[in-house]
Amino acid sequence: MSKNKTLTKKDQMQQDKAQDGQQMLVDFTRPRTNPMANVFDGLVRFCQSRSMFMLHYCTGCGAIELPPAMTSRFDMERLGIQPMVTPRQADILLITGYVSVKTLKRIILTYEQMAAPKYVIGICSCTVNGGMYWQSYATAKVLREYLPVDIYIAGCMPRPEAIIEGLQVLMDDIKTGRAENWKRYFQNYDYYLGNQQKLFGDHWQTPTDIISEARHYDLITENTLGKHTALLEKHQAPLQALEMTLQQNRERV
Amino acid sequence: MTQELNVWLDKILGDIENVKIERKRSNRLRVDVDARALPAVLELLQGRASYVHLSAISCVDRIDDDEFELVYHVWSYEARSLVSAHTRIPRDPGVYLSIYDLYVPAAFFERDIHEMFGVYFEGSPDMGKFILTEWDGPPPMRKDFDSEKFVNETFNREQYHPQWLKDLEKEGGGITTPAEDARK
Ligand code: SF4
Repeated sequence: MSKNKTLTKKDQMQQDKAQDGQQMLVDFTRPRTNPMANVFDGLVRFCQSRSMFMLHYCTGCGAIELPPAMTSRFDMERLGIQPMVTPRQADILLITGYVSVKTLKRIILTYEQMAAPKYVIGICSCTVNGGMYWQSYATAKVLREYLPVDIYIAGCMPRPEAIIEGLQVLMDDIKTGRAENWKRYFQNYDYYLGNQQKLFGDHWQTPTDIISEARHYDLITENTLGKHTALLEKHQAPLQALEMTLQQNRERV
Repeated sequence: MTQELNVWLDKILGDIENVKIERKRSNRLRVDVDARALPAVLELLQGRASYVHLSAISCVDRIDDDEFELVYHVWSYEARSLVSAHTRIPRDPGVYLSIYDLYVPAAFFERDIHEMFGVYFEGSPDMGKFILTEWDGPPPMRKDFDSEKFVNETFNREQYHPQWLKDLEKEGGGITTPAEDARK
């Protein structure tokens, strides 16, 4: 999908490329034929990269390095990165640390709610391969099996400098149009859904209809639908509004 | 006054049969008591000796003895001292009495122990799922549950051994200990 970057200086970063059994089916980095469109696209991408809202999902201990990175000491706002409170208004999903199976469900729900284009950053070794929790029954090991991850920032825990450098790599990728991993979720939905089903059981279902969204974005490929999505369709129950009750009427548990 | 209370406590507990006491420090006392007598000892401590705060209940899987060890930590604000009451129950069937009627916070600890070790507490208000709501395997803190085997069967492994780490290792740095060596 892109040229190999030299990783020598970008020590702690490993980019999520070449995922097994998947390929990018459309080359998004290809310049468009209309030269004006290229200029315009470049401008849009530049603006996107300079204004990013970040949803930090503090799943593990790695979150400790975020407050200094965000506040006056290292101040990531000077790069145009700000924390945001809801997934629907955020561009970046920052997953800071080990992800338990229970948390992973919430991460996927959060991720699917975010509006495209969206980027996922996995901070900490734990998101790469389980880190020091590699033999724990409770944590999911390889985050990118369940979501497309744009950047990993490895380390236990990575220092704020590393986090900021990682964010800068992401900004560069956005500027040059290489950060297109969110499209993979639609293009290879069957693969991601299969891994999710393996962990959460066959009845796993999220409120977001990814297949319709893929159709909407025109990102349906041969890998979007498959035997896992067929299973989903078999079990899929229509979503129902939650029942509203007043606190005092609820039975005490 | 506080010291006095502790001295009296040692005497009184020492007089009870089947109770072994061991004073670790001026404010730490270990009591080993038979499972049948534990609720009575706790009642005594709470009602007569001001040990009103249940700090925790912990559980240890003594698989070699085929027993669970339950440890009740109670604290007194007046004597400023912690008593740990140890007791053993057979691993099978792993059923014990709840002390919810003495200490209300026990419900929390008992539910947790039930989830992690499978010990059932009779009389506890709720023995339902607690934290591991997505888990339907065996209680994971039991020694006979092999977490590593479970992980190998459930998850894929991924190596992360980038060039910069190899370079570091060449210079004698790095802290990579293979899993096999770490277990030794
Ligand atoms: S990599 Fe280290 S700091 Fe980060 S979540 Fe895992 S254990 Fe915590």
